[in-house]
Amino acid sequence: MKREIPLLISFLAGTLIVISLFVPHPPFNKMEETLNSWYIIVSGFTFILGIDSLLLYNWDKIRRKGKDWPFALTVILSFVVTLVWGIVSGVRTGHIFSTNSTFRNYFYLYIYVPLQATMFAILSFFIASAAYRAFRARSLNATLLLITASIIMLGRVPLGNAALIPVLWIAVLLVAWVLLLEIKATTSASTRVGYLLMLILMVVIAVPLTKFLYGNLSAATDWIMDIPQMAAKRGIMLGLALGGIAVSLRIILGIERSYMS
Amino acid sequence: MISFVLMVIFSVRPSPIVDLKVMDNPNDEGGQIILKWDYRKDADLSQISYIQIMRIDRPGTAPVVVEELKPTARRYMDTDLKNGHPYRYFIRVWFKDGDYIDSAISPPVVPRAQWLHKGRIAALIILLLYGALLIYYLKKARRGERLTIRPIAGLQAVDDAVGRATEMGRPLLFVLGLGTVSDIATLAGLAILKRVAMKAAEYESDIIVPCFDPVVMAAAQETVKQGYLEAGRPDLYNEKNVYFLTNDQFGYAAGIDGIIMRQKPGAIFLQGAFYAESLIIAETGHSIGAIQIAGTSSVTQLPFLIAATDYTLIGEEMYAASAYLSRDPNSLATIKAEDWMKIIFIGLILVGAVLETVAGVTGNKSWSLIKTFFAGGAQ
Repeated sequence: MKREIPLLISFLAGTLIVISLFVPHPPFNKMEETLNSWYIIVSGFTFILGIDSLLLYNWDKIRRKGKDWPFALTVILSFVVTLVWGIVSGVRTGHIFSTNSTFRNYFYLYIYVPLQATMFAILSFFIASAAYRAFRARSLNATLLLITASIIMLGRVPLGNAALIPVLWIAVLLVAWVLLLEIKATTSASTRVGYLLMLILMVVIAVPLTKFLYGNLSAATDWIMDIPQMAAKRGIMLGLALGGIAVSLRIILGIERSYMS
Repeated sequence: MISFVLMVIFSVRPSPIVDLKVMDNPNDEGGQIILKWDYRKDADLSQISYIQIMRIDRPGTAPVVVEELKPTARRYMDTDLKNGHPYRYFIRVWFKDGDYIDSAISPPVVPRAQWLHKGRIAALIILLLYGALLIYYLKKARRGERLTIRPIAGLQAVDDAVGRATEMGRPLLFVLGLGTVSDIATLAGLAILKRVAMKAAEYESDIIVPCFDPVVMAAAQETVKQGYLEAGRPDLYNEKNVYFLTNDQFGYAAGIDGIIMRQKPGAIFLQGAFYAESLIIAETGHSIGAIQIAGTSSVTQLPFLIAATDYTLIGEEMYAASAYLSRDPNSLATIKAEDWMKIIFIGLILVGAVLETVAGVTGNKSWSLIKTFFAGGAQ
């Protein structure tokens, strides 16, 4: 019974949601809303579980004086300060985020928001380092990615058209340099021929490509985003939708049971 | 006297409202009626102050004002009506000079709840077709026929990643992302987690699962416990390794980065729903040299994960992962049915593209039958 009851609940909840998608008649019309409300209520209670887990995990580290225990102490102190400050501020001003709430004016605006902004800002450096690795022209795919990304980036900035020729030619020269290094380094004759052909192809198409793009950069960017990019994206989304149905059916039919022990 | 009557008759303005259509709202739970109307072509809308939607609930009773609208409105939906009760409507047009005029009264319309959402018939047919294919392949699987699916590099690397981390004496880190337990991506992530936990138990490795959502945490604890149990090593299971971190997006990213930098996991699995934090986590993982296997349903995050991780499960590969890793015939049957559905969709897209081209060239909209059929789902 320990396994059968959760399976039955999953089957009934899943089936009712599927039926409610196709049957607008009561009582199916409110089924999804009702089940979602139940989920919100249940998940509200599970926050107690979450807090319990967080505090116990960190308290255990402090108690054992485990590695990096001061970080665990920081977590618990931050938790307590945030909780107490929030409650006191909320009770005193009537609302935790009212304009005269010290929690909002000091903690939220001067600690929490800047910390979040800092984490988000770090993303720009990570994008640069990931892009560097992805755009290294070590294969035909990476070279195509580099050229396409250069066109898109130039097409999306106001000075793009003016900067097109120098940027594109610097990119071409860099790729040519990388390819020459690869030709020198490789021992395989066939790979060497492949790199050489890639180099020739790139130099041959660089001039007409630059001529074409100059003045048509915005249109070219839109075309790449609307046609090849969108086609690939829709292909993935179609697969995701079908895969989602497969996972849902596996759970509804009890084939997939990894979520319960 | 006659001249006075004629003056009154000829001074009466005609109603500017024409073509008032009143109908039951289709595909709903009832209680809703839609009104659509137009204005006479010669009507001077600048002279109209506002219009009132008037409803007659019972014959012989006074009409009630339902709503006041600007003269630019062409459509209104009356709600909270009683199902099965007939209602009649007309529109009262108020002019700026204080005068008003009523449109013709509509015939009675009865709001009703529908048993089938006709706009979703295409989705229903797809679901039934999928169901039929699924039953066919489930029967095949139960007969013991071997079902094969193509190799997925990211999933083949799971064993290597766990083995490598074990050899290095480092733990495994499994990140389920920001999704809740009602997200398909999180459920698929949990299925992968179970297989990874089984491998971790086999190799006697530690697996750390910091969670964003407490419900996901509870499910992840059960999943890891089950994995250790099925691997025959329940003694190695440590509930404290599956814990709640925070419910804040960048706080979660910062927490994961801290775990990566301090505990230096040998393998990192990013499986679930990810948003802007995906690259922050993946790049930090790359910086410590961990082998990383990512998978997400967030299409916008896929390029970042492809750039920053060693293997990425793209789109439905992630959803197929549990079937692929478990080799359970019933699970594989769902993947086979999915593959056939994909082939059917590719065929429909190709035929649809040809028909749309013909419709565009000939100007005959009747060629757009596939598009029209599937566009019903948007209603």
